[in-house]
Amino acid sequence: MSSLRVAASWRKRRRTALLVVFAILLSIFILAPFAWLVLTSFMHEKDALSVPPQWIPAHPTFSNYLSFFNPSGVRALVGSQAAADTLPGIVNSLIVATGAALLNVILGALAGYSFARLQFRGRSSLLMLYLGSRMVPGIALIIPLYLMVRLLGLLDTLPALMLTYLTFTLPFTIWLLKSYFQAIPRAIEEAALVDGCTWAQMLFKVLLPMAKPGLAGAGMFAFMTAWNDYLFAVILTNTMASKTVTVVVAGFATDVTTARTLMTTGGVLAVIPPLVLAFIFRKFVVEGLTAGAVKG
Amino acid sequence: MAPTVAAGPNRINGLHGGLGRRRGVFGLRRLLTYESTSFAYVLNAPSIAAIAILVAFPIVDSAWISLHHYNLMRPHVFAFVGLGNFLQILASAEFWAALLVTAEFTSLAVVLVSLLGVGGALLLSSPFPGRAVLRVLILIPWAIPPVVNGLMWQWIYDPKVGVLNGLLKALGVIGHYQGWLSSSSGALLALVSAHVWSMFPLAVILLTGALQRIPGELYDAARIDGSDELGLFRHVTLPWLAQPLLVVLIIETMYALHAFDVIYVLTSGGPGTATTTLTWQTYITTFENLDFGLGDAYAWLISLLTVGLSVIYFRALYHRGEFEA
Repeated sequence: MSSLRVAASWRKRRRTALLVVFAILLSIFILAPFAWLVLTSFMHEKDALSVPPQWIPAHPTFSNYLSFFNPSGVRALVGSQAAADTLPGIVNSLIVATGAALLNVILGALAGYSFARLQFRGRSSLLMLYLGSRMVPGIALIIPLYLMVRLLGLLDTLPALMLTYLTFTLPFTIWLLKSYFQAIPRAIEEAALVDGCTWAQMLFKVLLPMAKPGLAGAGMFAFMTAWNDYLFAVILTNTMASKTVTVVVAGFATDVTTARTLMTTGGVLAVIPPLVLAFIFRKFVVEGLTAGAVKG
Repeated sequence: MAPTVAAGPNRINGLHGGLGRRRGVFGLRRLLTYESTSFAYVLNAPSIAAIAILVAFPIVDSAWISLHHYNLMRPHVFAFVGLGNFLQILASAEFWAALLVTAEFTSLAVVLVSLLGVGGALLLSSPFPGRAVLRVLILIPWAIPPVVNGLMWQWIYDPKVGVLNGLLKALGVIGHYQGWLSSSSGALLALVSAHVWSMFPLAVILLTGALQRIPGELYDAARIDGSDELGLFRHVTLPWLAQPLLVVLIIETMYALHAFDVIYVLTSGGPGTATTTLTWQTYITTFENLDFGLGDAYAWLISLLTVGLSVIYFRALYHRGEFEA
């Protein structure tokens, strides 16, 4: 009996050890590329270009970051224009991505409610239409969209980007919120209405608070998608009035004369906002994505 | 629609039943509450407007443009050519080369992402010390914008000062530094690796969620029937994963077919045309050759390809009875 138990506990330990080994390998696979980007942003250009490459900066420095916050003063490096544009680009990205996320949640909650609770003519066709709109590659929309935005005089403005990004994730938001609303018992809604709430009060005071994880997950997903886009941003923007951070960073990356350290620092700065949000809202993101895609 | 409908049949499954006697605070509420089809369309109006203006109209417009000769180098010529652009594409060597690259890139990316996704999900749903940390780390690649991802890998694969060269030389795997991005197959593999790195966390997250929903009784029942670990995996886990795996396949196929940002930063379709996918070919045709007619025809071919593949996937889902609109 006891030897059996010993054997079982050995098997369990061996299993755990194996899992830990895989976990370490996966962590290295995830962390190593990103770590190098981050570490390089703390190097002097000379160290960044040394052969063999350094992992740990020999002379760690904050100067790369400082030159982003005070681009005119510190040093006149190649690529200093892009460095000067990075922070305004981040501000533009924040405005656009937040706007797109809010619009997504508002429009998505209304439409999602209709699919969760109402039977109406054309219901499944409409849902298929929304989902089908995601099959269209961005590159197929870009020319007509450009011509339209130009016609409306909205080229190089933030609202044009906001509205464009709204449609990227709206179908997913509707789908996700539909399944969140469906999971909330109708009885709660009916009770609120019987108690004398108007439909709008019921929506804002009862239903939406209960669907908070779904709203947060959908909003986060929309924010990330908007933050990450490059193609539409580069076509629809022109000046720093609306250039987003991905446009600025891509400008770095494709200009061979840019200092490597500035390039990696710009990359790190562009990653910080979405990464921080992803960590804060991790639970909602994970739940939301899973509910939206797996529940069907 | 009119307030008189108040006494009419309640078509919304009794949701608002019993409210008929309450007089609405404002007329709109009555309108909204009792006529569920018009109410539904009121709720959907903003979304329909957004999709119609920003997706439906552009895609129809681009179909119209694709039937014309329209090159910005001669902007005054807008001549109807029927399917001429499509025939020109199908007869061109570039199209078939790009289709081949697209097929290679997409299949490699989707297979690798799925394998890493299943492996990662199995790992993350087994108990081991430090699992909570890994569950947070997995979000990093997902949160990085493709442009920054491309920049990061460009730097890693650098022929002179790249860390991959440094690492492999130190380990004695290679004798001298390689120009990873300057050989055809190297560039394609580099592109695949960058794409897979940023896309696999989504697959892991989706599949982990699915694994956690497997009812424990299924495993108990299989154990009673005498299944060993491998048997449990084959007869319980894998069948359960089939449906979410199909969702992952659809999403990842779309992402791979439409990949643009990472190509733009990392390889720009090169060397030569080694990484010129259909999406990149569309971009070049449109924005470098300024041939909007031909570019839109390319874009439509990609759309058709995406829809075609999705229909195949959807049918697989539908036949399993899992897809419910």
